[in-house]
Amino acid sequence: MPIELTMPRLSDTMEAGTVIKWNVKEGDAVRSGSVLADIETDKATMEMQCFDDGKLAAILVEPGKQVKVGTTIALIALEGEDVASVKAGGGKSGGGATAAAPAPAAKPAPAAPAPVAAPVAAPVAAAATPVVQTETRHGMEGFPSLEDDGPRMRVSPVARRMAEEQGVDIRTVKGTGPGGRVIKRDVELAIENKASMKTASAAAATISPSQALAVSTGGVQTPSAPLALALPGRDVALTGMRQTIARRLVESKTTIPHYQVTMKFDMDRLIDLRQSYNEKLKSSGVKLSVNDFLVRACALAMAEHPYFNASFAGDHIRIHETVNIGVAISLPEEKGGGLVVGVIKDADHKSLRQISADTKTLAEKARTKGLSVQDMSDATFTISNLGMFGVEHFTAIINPPNSAILACGAAVQQPVVRDGQLVVGTQMQATLSLDHRVIDGAMAAQYLASLKEFIEEPETLVV
Amino acid sequence: MTAVLSSGVMSNPVFREPETLGGPTREIEFRDAIREAMSEEMRRDKRVFLLGEEVAQYDGAYKVSKGMLAEFGERRIIDTPISESGFAGMAIGAAMIGLRPICEFMSWSFSLVAADPILNNAPKMLYMSGGQWGCPIVFRGNDGAGGQLGSTHSWCVEGLYSNVPGVKIVIPSCPADAKGLMKTAIRDDDPVFFLESERMLGNKGHVPEGEYLIPFGHAAVRRRGTDCTLCSWGRPVNFCLEAAEILAKEGISCEVIDLRTIRPLDMPTVIQSVRKTNCAVVVDQSWSFSSPGGELAALIHKHCFDDLDNFVYRVHSDDVPTPYSSKLEQEYLPNVRKICEAVRAATYRA
Amino acid sequence: MHLIREFEVRCMQSYQEKKIGGFCHVYIGQEAVAVGCTAAMKHEDPIVTAYRDHGHALARGMTSRACMAEMYGKVGGCAKGKGGSMHMFDRPNNLYGGHGIVGAQTPLGAGLAFGTKYEDEVINGGKNRRVTLAFLGDGAVNQGAFYEAMNLAGLFDLPVIFIVENNGYSMGTAIHRGTSMSHDLCIKGRAHGLKEATMDGMDVLAVYHDMHELAEWCRANSRPAFVDMKCYRYKGHSMSDPRKYRTREEEERHESNDPIGKYEQSLLAHGVITDETIKSIMASCREEVRDAIQFSNESPEPPMSDLYTDVFVEPWGRFPGSSQPDFTGGATNVCSFRATNGKEGLV
Repeated sequence: MPIELTMPRLSDTMEAGTVIKWNVKEGDAVRSGSVLADIETDKATMEMQCFDDGKLAAILVEPGKQVKVGTTIALIALEGEDVASVKAGGGKSGGGATAAAPAPAAKPAPAAPAPVAAPVAAPVAAAATPVVQTETRHGMEGFPSLEDDGPRMRVSPVARRMAEEQGVDIRTVKGTGPGGRVIKRDVELAIENKASMKTASAAAATISPSQALAVSTGGVQTPSAPLALALPGRDVALTGMRQTIARRLVESKTTIPHYQVTMKFDMDRLIDLRQSYNEKLKSSGVKLSVNDFLVRACALAMAEHPYFNASFAGDHIRIHETVNIGVAISLPEEKGGGLVVGVIKDADHKSLRQISADTKTLAEKARTKGLSVQDMSDATFTISNLGMFGVEHFTAIINPPNSAILACGAAVQQPVVRDGQLVVGTQMQATLSLDHRVIDGAMAAQYLASLKEFIEEPETLVV
Repeated sequence: MTAVLSSGVMSNPVFREPETLGGPTREIEFRDAIREAMSEEMRRDKRVFLLGEEVAQYDGAYKVSKGMLAEFGERRIIDTPISESGFAGMAIGAAMIGLRPICEFMSWSFSLVAADPILNNAPKMLYMSGGQWGCPIVFRGNDGAGGQLGSTHSWCVEGLYSNVPGVKIVIPSCPADAKGLMKTAIRDDDPVFFLESERMLGNKGHVPEGEYLIPFGHAAVRRRGTDCTLCSWGRPVNFCLEAAEILAKEGISCEVIDLRTIRPLDMPTVIQSVRKTNCAVVVDQSWSFSSPGGELAALIHKHCFDDLDNFVYRVHSDDVPTPYSSKLEQEYLPNVRKICEAVRAATYRA
Repeated sequence: MHLIREFEVRCMQSYQEKKIGGFCHVYIGQEAVAVGCTAAMKHEDPIVTAYRDHGHALARGMTSRACMAEMYGKVGGCAKGKGGSMHMFDRPNNLYGGHGIVGAQTPLGAGLAFGTKYEDEVINGGKNRRVTLAFLGDGAVNQGAFYEAMNLAGLFDLPVIFIVENNGYSMGTAIHRGTSMSHDLCIKGRAHGLKEATMDGMDVLAVYHDMHELAEWCRANSRPAFVDMKCYRYKGHSMSDPRKYRTREEEERHESNDPIGKYEQSLLAHGVITDETIKSIMASCREEVRDAIQFSNESPEPPMSDLYTDVFVEPWGRFPGSSQPDFTGGATNVCSFRATNGKEGLV
């Protein structure tokens, strides 16, 4: 059987080689050990050695041509074999050499991939792209989320596991670890609270109605965990915001001696003025709301009545130098609902336009990405307005450490006695809730009088 | 070709924790404990011999082999020239013949010039020979900062050598362990790196009179606790115990685990503890980068991920060459203050 | 010698066919050294060598099959495919390994001699019986470990013979370009009190005769020796060496002094063998190597489980730090200390 000489691997990294020169020609006798050709590898030009004795029957690869390692490059006829027939057999299809036949036939295709590359390359490239992206994403993993300080919640693994096991909604647990991370002891505390709540409700379920009052009286001591009814229903977990609202307003309502004073305001002139301004300012995209006027009015009135711009501080009353008006903003249901207070700083020094712009910015931000701590802090007075929902009258709970909050209803048309005549007028009711430790009834009346002046003579708000 | 393994003599070994042995104990030094182990094994098995610098006539540079020349003679207690690469390689050759050499490096710092035999020959022989030859040999010597020895003589080689598969690495923290682990090391059929500390050779401890061997891969819980698991080996274990005292007064209860061997590493004991405390601090005298402490921390993160209340804190030698100044060296090493700080941070009580 | 040469030729071919991977260093031209030296020794005498180790393995009695299959990385290899070309170990034939790092085997050689001497004298209380052969190339002469090994051998009276197979080149660097006093290598041994000898490594009979004499002296006196074994490496250092550092004329000059050809001529001249005998020997060598290649091709790849075996004699089960990567749980470790057979040496 003739010997096939294949392109030898002459270095550990060699994939293909080039015949530089054949040292023998077809028909020459060759011996084991004789040098048949010079082969250029990836590293150097090497000698190709013969391992068998015989005659070189055919040269299949011309000098200068690069072929892959393993490609048949020559045939040797052994003793007793005919050179011509070996050449004829080997040159065409590899003859009867079964082991060799696939090799030369298969090699040329991968050796010259260029023509078939185009159709094949496209899906390959397409498949490769997501892989690359995935890798990139993996490479960046962890880094962007560090900047993203907003809604991301940090929970230690064991805290997460314990919460799951104990059925505690981890989102309701306040984290005390670094960066607000919820840690084991936070969950333990939550589990404890839940347990005491359960104990209380279990007690409520088993006692008679006549005893319930006593229990609920006892419950006053733990206002944060009120009694639950032993009725079928579903539990809605407290969001962090809901927890804050609950805590602060219980604190406000139970520690601040609230009282309310209500007054009606004629709104006709203000509404007319607003309409005419809005027509004039339409081109510049400004649209003043009734609320903007109220903010400005409250702020100017506060400048006249400094105790409305004050906080009760235990052994003294602190009168603030700047007037910052908080505006209660309700959040849409899909954002989890709730209530935040955006703050318009230095409101007594801001124009209506500025107040309007600030309010819009705050509301927009509150409903989209959320207000920053900066946006919500340092209010010295708060306005809560339910007028847009048709509410005519309500009272609000003071937003500590403020001393007062104004609850505004809707401006509605109603019969009004003006100069002894019954006419149709537009009126709004507003109710002040006040901290009696800071503000007495008469002071409240005086403040409302000032406010009334600003609202009913709205031009004063402009100058 | 059948694999013929080197012939160990681990027949009916008395694997016992020293405290379970009962019977009388004596208070002896760390160096005495190692010597007792070597001498007992040499009396038991003639194939065991000790070689190294100054081990014979000088009675041991650190007096570990004191008196052994007198008992065993110069054929078995052999002074070598200062030629670590040569005598380490020679000892490996002797182990291939079937002897059980104990090769002393005066300091593991000097083993670096013998890196090729101890890392390329000893641990790979069994594998490369397809199971035909193991290498039953003990390399032992002082590891870690000895006390103002400067950068070149203060190596913690476990950071380098624990990277290599095929070695067993033993780092005892007390005399009783040193004895029981040394006896196991000598009878073990694989290469064992036994890392002592110059600073501990004079430490005293109770050691039972009876014979016992401590198995590899069995950690000792040195102190029970509930708030934080301190994992360490060798000399820093003692710092961990001191730190645990201090922290107990602050209301932090530490469990101190002495790994004793870092290859093999007793993860079950560590995992069991961390699942209880939800908190782990690893104390390792080697440098932090690519260290056994880093490996242990990674394994804790892997096996206890859902049990951790914080990431695993690590206390190492600082990432600088070992300083000479006593004050700087003290600060550079893992010390009680660093351990206390790490535990406080890990338990959110910083 | 014929077998080694035929084996090495087919190694080259197999390497070029990508059947053999990694580094491969063939012994062609130096056959007389391994054959002459091993023939001069007793079977119980340990041998350790460097990475050009196929010749020593075959001369020591390793089968062509085991040797070739090892290079093919198959389970039929002497180390089940875990060692490779440079790391031939054969315990039944007392071949303590080919070793890949230049010079690293020389302290091991000293240690083997230390071990046999200790066994013979300290444990068995008799006289030293065995002599170790530690082969190295002339390139290894410049490794520090070799000097440490010679010093220890001289110091401890170790019966070891360091045989420097001086083929004139350390990789591609001619000896005079890398080694001081290269005209008299024996001076290196002399410095450590080793008995010295220079031998013609291209003459198998001379090697046998000189080595036998030297080995018996070492055995009787329990002393080390140093041999400057002059020989020539026909092929490159490894398979990817184009040999541009020497001339074709130089190679041809040495090839004309071929140890196999010379020995054949001598045997023919003395009427020990005939041409026919030579032909039949060559045919049987070809057949043996052909069979080894077929065996290696057919020998299975090592099972994946082999990856984790032979790391420790006394493994520690499935947990980190041991031979297997995964921890499967459980509160306590199981120590698998085993009672083993060897009791000799127990007091």
